[in-house]
Amino acid sequence: MSLLAQSIINGLITGSIYALVAAGYSLIYSTNNFMHFAHGISVVAAGYMVYWLFTLAGTPFYATCLITILLSALFGLAMYRLIYLPLQRRGSSNVILLIASIGILIFFQNIIQIAFGSGVKLIGYIEVSRGIAFPGGITMTVLQIVILLISGIIFIMLYQFMQKTKLGRNMRAVSNNKELASIVGIDHIRISDFSFLIGSALAGVAGILVALEQNLSPLMGTNLMIKGFTGAVIGGINYVPGSIIGSFVLGMAENLGILVLPSGYKDAIAFSLLFLFLLFKPNGILGKKEGRFDK
Amino acid sequence: MLEINDLYSGYGELKVLKGVNISVGKNEIVALIGPNGAGKSTVIKSIFNISDVSAGEVLFRGKDITGLRTHEIIKLGISYLNQGKINFSNLTVRENLMIGADQIFAPDVAEEGLGKVYAKFPDLHAKEKELAYTLSGGQQQMLALGRSLMQRPALLLMDEPSLGLSPKLQKELFETISSLRSEGISMLIVEQNAKKAIELADRTYLLEDGKVVLEGGKEILENEAIKNVYLGGRY
Repeated sequence: MSLLAQSIINGLITGSIYALVAAGYSLIYSTNNFMHFAHGISVVAAGYMVYWLFTLAGTPFYATCLITILLSALFGLAMYRLIYLPLQRRGSSNVILLIASIGILIFFQNIIQIAFGSGVKLIGYIEVSRGIAFPGGITMTVLQIVILLISGIIFIMLYQFMQKTKLGRNMRAVSNNKELASIVGIDHIRISDFSFLIGSALAGVAGILVALEQNLSPLMGTNLMIKGFTGAVIGGINYVPGSIIGSFVLGMAENLGILVLPSGYKDAIAFSLLFLFLLFKPNGILGKKEGRFDK
Repeated sequence: MLEINDLYSGYGELKVLKGVNISVGKNEIVALIGPNGAGKSTVIKSIFNISDVSAGEVLFRGKDITGLRTHEIIKLGISYLNQGKINFSNLTVRENLMIGADQIFAPDVAEEGLGKVYAKFPDLHAKEKELAYTLSGGQQQMLALGRSLMQRPALLLMDEPSLGLSPKLQKELFETISSLRSEGISMLIVEQNAKKAIELADRTYLLEDGKVVLEGGKEILENEAIKNVYLGGRY
């Protein structure tokens, strides 16, 4: 029983990291309509930014976090403005943009490898400690509690932003009907700017949390991107709340799955789910085909 | 008010308009009729810079607006009621109305328009908080028209506004359109129903294969070519 409860908690923690990645990814996808696989490198770059600013340069931790999130947002904006937008202006198809995004991912993975080496890096902000014991045989470290809290707060803020602000409403409008959005006078480039800024800031937060919880390695972005993508596909890639829920489903499935399977099968569980959803429910649990809300 | 001179336009390699000249005067209702694929919608899309204009010019109040970006054109006082998916199905009725206006006006100015549109279309007021996809076909059309009016256009471009409406709703729609003229709105309307369009409009242009082949007032209802081809039931 306690093993089950612990697995559920572990699933939530894993899921919240995946969900941070997936939320940004799906925000960018739903407003831009192309696969930004380089989103994974935003997460990793943020992790290394923390390592560089905090561990190597000794910047105070909270300042490090703020700078990292800000730079992540600008990094995303730069990818859009310097690479995707010029390609779009030349009439490139979404497949070309997808290839470009994989190119960016590989390019920056190698830049990081040249700059920091291929070995794993430790941040060492929080001492590895024994977890706090909760009733029901659950143990969680302080960091894990922080991850759950921060991601929860961010998802609520993101939801409020999307529902209550003019910019959020315009983003929902663009993801629902791009042509009409343009007809009513929404400047789609401005919306894309903000989707990359906000989506990549979320990747920055994910990067900080990943850096604190795991060891950093230059190639970890691919795996994170695939997990975030899988979560988004499970929940509905076009719909930000869907992709968040899908990511929690993925985190749970991985952690509950290894109760009955050897733990090396974690990734296999994720990929199996990805295949099953792509085959049988490509629009995800909450996602939509053309318009989830259209008759 | 609007003047289109020798316009060539299309979509990428596809050339649709081949030298079109059209004008809309102040407080005038102008209709565009013609067979499918003649380029009627492309005329409107060219004004709004959603198609690829290769030559010619579009003047609005004497100012060349060819090549301006769509959101800039709207600010000049042109609004476009498209066909197909005409509303944001995942937004509420109120959000659908406000989204046109608050791109242009300050929030309080935009809100003022809301009262006027609700007075004109009480059904929308009653369903203010509901998502647009729950509305009936007629209400969808009201919502789209309402959103265009929220932008307080001097010129309203309409692409087949009567499409998919029942005859009763079509009649109501045409009455509403006529009443908009008294509010000082000029209109350019693309319409499949040639007879209705000619009756409604001050002037009508007949488009065939990307060119204007006939232009005139209500008298063109008596034109033999129009009678045979467009009023004979083929279109």
